[in-house]
Amino acid sequence: MSELAIRRGVAPALAVRGLSYAYPQSTQPALEDVSLEVAPGEFVLLAGRSASSKSTLLKAACGLVPHFHGGEIEGEVSVADLDAVVAGPGELAAAVGYLAQDPETQVVSTTVAAEIELPLEMRGDAPADRARAVEEVALALAIPHLLDRTVDTLSGGELQRVALAAALVTRPRLILLDEPTSQLDPVAGDELIWLLRRLNEEWGVAVLLAEHRLERCLAAADRVIAMEAGRLSFDGAPAEFLAWACDSDPALETPAARLFSLAGIDPLPIGVRDARQTLRGMGVAHPPNRSSRRECDPHPQDPVLQAKGLWVELDRGEDPRDVLKGVELTVRRGERVALMGRNGAGKSTLLRTAAGLHEPVAGKLSVDSIALLTQNPSDYLVRERVADELPGEEGLAALRTVGLEHATDADPRDLSGGERQRLALAIALAGRMEGKDLPGLVALDEPTRGMDHVRKGELVRLVEDLATRGAAVVVATHDVEFASEFAERVILLGDGVVIADGPMAEVLSGGWYFATEVARVLDLPGVVTPEQGAVALREAGP
Amino acid sequence: MKSHFAYQPRPRPLQLASPGAAVAYLGAIVAVAFLYSNPLVLVAAGIAATVAGLLCGARRSVWLALKMGFSLALLIVVVNALVVDRGETVLARLGDWPLFGRVDVTLEAIVAGLSGGLRAAVAIVAAAVYSACVDPDRVLRALRPLAGRSALTATLVSRLVPVAAADAARLRDAARLRGPGAAAVGRGPLARRLLAGSLDRAVDVAATLELRGYSLDAPPARNRRARSRYDRRFYAVAALVLAAAIAGKALGADDFQTYPAVEIGLGGATLALSVLVALSGLAPLRRRSRVSPSSRITRANRHPEAARV
Repeated sequence: MSELAIRRGVAPALAVRGLSYAYPQSTQPALEDVSLEVAPGEFVLLAGRSASSKSTLLKAACGLVPHFHGGEIEGEVSVADLDAVVAGPGELAAAVGYLAQDPETQVVSTTVAAEIELPLEMRGDAPADRARAVEEVALALAIPHLLDRTVDTLSGGELQRVALAAALVTRPRLILLDEPTSQLDPVAGDELIWLLRRLNEEWGVAVLLAEHRLERCLAAADRVIAMEAGRLSFDGAPAEFLAWACDSDPALETPAARLFSLAGIDPLPIGVRDARQTLRGMGVAHPPNRSSRRECDPHPQDPVLQAKGLWVELDRGEDPRDVLKGVELTVRRGERVALMGRNGAGKSTLLRTAAGLHEPVAGKLSVDSIALLTQNPSDYLVRERVADELPGEEGLAALRTVGLEHATDADPRDLSGGERQRLALAIALAGRMEGKDLPGLVALDEPTRGMDHVRKGELVRLVEDLATRGAAVVVATHDVEFASEFAERVILLGDGVVIADGPMAEVLSGGWYFATEVARVLDLPGVVTPEQGAVALREAGP
Repeated sequence: MKSHFAYQPRPRPLQLASPGAAVAYLGAIVAVAFLYSNPLVLVAAGIAATVAGLLCGARRSVWLALKMGFSLALLIVVVNALVVDRGETVLARLGDWPLFGRVDVTLEAIVAGLSGGLRAAVAIVAAAVYSACVDPDRVLRALRPLAGRSALTATLVSRLVPVAAADAARLRDAARLRGPGAAAVGRGPLARRLLAGSLDRAVDVAATLELRGYSLDAPPARNRRARSRYDRRFYAVAALVLAAAIAGKALGADDFQTYPAVEIGLGGATLALSVLVALSGLAPLRRRSRVSPSSRITRANRHPEAARV
C-alpha cells in the first residue's frame, strides 16, 4: 500500500490476528491468541491488572517483540500495513512511536534537541526537514524552552515529554504508551492525557495507552481493551467497559463508577463531567453538605518527627537550589499521613532528610527513629535468596510482618512487584520490629508506581498494621485515590513549603488536582471515597 | 550529580562547530604540546587551551583541569627530581634512601620534570575543554558511518555511565537504610548488584536505540548536520598552528636541552611560534553583530532617551 494511502488512514493503525508469544526460556506464553484492530485516529485504553501482559502487547506492536527480546511468536501483527513480525523496530519507527514507563532509559542523547532529532537523522531526512519537524513537535508538546537543555537536567515529567516528542517526531500513525503517568503528579498526568487527546484529534494519531489509573484517562478514550493473563477479556466502549468491570473485575472499576454502582445509579459515568451531568439530569445537582470542617484529631502520642523552619539545599550539577524552604511539621506515633505535592515539591527530600541522607542547611529536624523505603524497592535487594537478605530470627520476624515468611528460599527477582516491595520494607524494618525497637516513623516514597488496585489494597492493610503497632506511617504519593484509602491526614507540599495540612477528607475534597474523583464529582467537603459519596447520594435522593 | 567536565550546550563557537573542526582545533594545540619540549612553547599551548575554554564558557571545567594539571605537573617534577640524578647543578644531596639509593636533586632534573608536567597539564586542559564544549552525540554520529558498531557501543556506554552513577548512588542510600536485623551489605554484593542492574539498563537503552532507528543504515553524508559558520575558522587555525609547529621544528624553535645543563632556546623562531600558539586560543572569540544605523533609528524612535545617550 502506498504511503499516501497509509497517511489517509485506509489501513488500520494496528491489526493483530491470532497473536501468541512466549519469552525466551519461558514455559508460559505471555500472549495467547490475541486479536484486535485499532482504527486510524482511535484512542484506545488498555486496561488490566499487573502482569496481564499489557506491556508485551505494546512491545509486539512496535517490533521489540520478537526482534529485540527474542522468543517464539505466532500470528500476525501489522502496523499501518507494515508486517511487524518481519520489519524491525527501526523500520517501524516511521509508523509507530513507543513510550515506556521509565523515562530515564528512554533518552540516549545529551541534549533535548539531539534526542528529538535522532530518529529523523537515523532515517536520513534532510537537515531542513529535521529542523522543521523538531520545531513543530516541540511546539505541539509545549517544550521549545527545553530544546537547548541537557537531558540530565530535566525532571521526570519533562523527560517523559521529551521521550514522547522523540516518539512523535516521525509523525507516526500510532503511538503506544506504557503507563506514562505512573511517575507524574496529578497535574502533569492530566496534562499528558489531554495532550495525547489533542494530538489524537488534531494530528489523527491513533493512541494505544496502557494504564492502571483508569479514572485519569477513561474519559479521553474512544474504546477500552482489557487483558487478563495474556488474553483479551474485554473490548468495547468505555461505558460498556465499566458495566463489564462492575460484574467481572471490580478491581478495574473507576471510583466514580463505584460511587454510582453503590448508589444504584445508571448509567455508570466514564468521567467527572459525565457523572455530574447524570446527577443533574436526576435532580441531584448538589447533595446536602453533611460534613463540616473539622480540625485534625490531635494524636495524644509523642511526636516522632518535628521540623522547625527546615531548609534543605540540593545541588544537582546546576546551581544549588533550595528544595525545602522553612518547613514546619509535626508527626506523631500511630498517624497515617499522605505526603503529596507536584513533582519537585520536596516530598522525597523531606523523607530523605528525615532519614539522614541529606543535611539541612537551616532549621531543626528531630526524628525518633525512621525506616525509609525509597522509590525503587529493588535497590534494597542485593542477594539471590530472601533468607540471605534477612537471616536469623529477626529476619524471620520482619518477613512475618510483611507476610513473606513462606518465601525464605525464593530469589527476590522471582517475586512479584508487590512482594518485592514488601521484602524491601522488611529489610528496612528488620531488627526493630518489637516494642521500643519499632521505628517511630515508617516512611514510604512513591510505593504505588505500576501497582494495580489489588496490590494497593494489600499495601493499605500493611500500612494500617504498622500504624496499629504504634509507628507513624508517612507515604509520599501522587496517587490521590490510594491516599484516600490509607491516610487520615494529608500534608500538601508546594515548592518546598507546606501549603495544606489537615484531615485527609478535608484536604482531598478541597481542591481540583489533589482531589479524588468522587470529590470532583460531588464537590462536597469531606466526601472523598465512593462509599461516603454513595451515602450522600442516597440521602439526597432523586 | 553532574560532572563539571560534562558537555554543556552554549551558543559559543566551539560548541556550535562541527565535531571535526573542534577536534582539529584542540588536537592541534595538543599536538604542539607533544611535538615540543621547550617550556615557553608549552606554556603558550597551555594559555591557548585555557583561553579557548574560557571564551567558550567552560570556566569551571578549565579551573578544575588547571588544578588537576598543575597537581600532576608538580608530582612529575617531584618524582623526576628524586628518581633522576643526572645534571650538573646539584641543589641538594639527600643521602641514601631505601629503594631510591643515593638521592641528589638537580636543577636539570627539576626542569626536565617541569617540561613533562607542563605537557601533561596542557593535555588535561585541552581534554577538559573538549569534554565541556564538544557535543559527544555529534562526535558519535559523525563516527557512525566509519565504525558503526563502535559508535553504537560508545553511545550505549555514554548513556549508561550517568544512569549507572545514579543507580550506584541509590544502591548506596538503600544500603544505609537497611535495618539492623538485615544482612549487612559490603562493597562486593553492591558491585555485583550494580553490574546486574546495569545489564538490565543496557537492555532498556539498547531497546530505545533500536526504536530510534539506530540499526538502520547510516544516512548519506549530505543529510548529516549542516556545517557551522565557525568550522572554517577552526580548521584554518588548526592548519596554521600545525604548519607553524612543523616549520618551527625545522627552524630550531624547539631548542631545549636539560642534561647535562639546562639550555632553553629563546630565539626568534621560538618566540614567534609561542606567540602564534598562544594567540590561537582566541579562535573561539565571537564577532558580535554591529547595530545597523536603521535599527538605531528605530530604537531611538521608540526610546528617545536612548538616542540621547
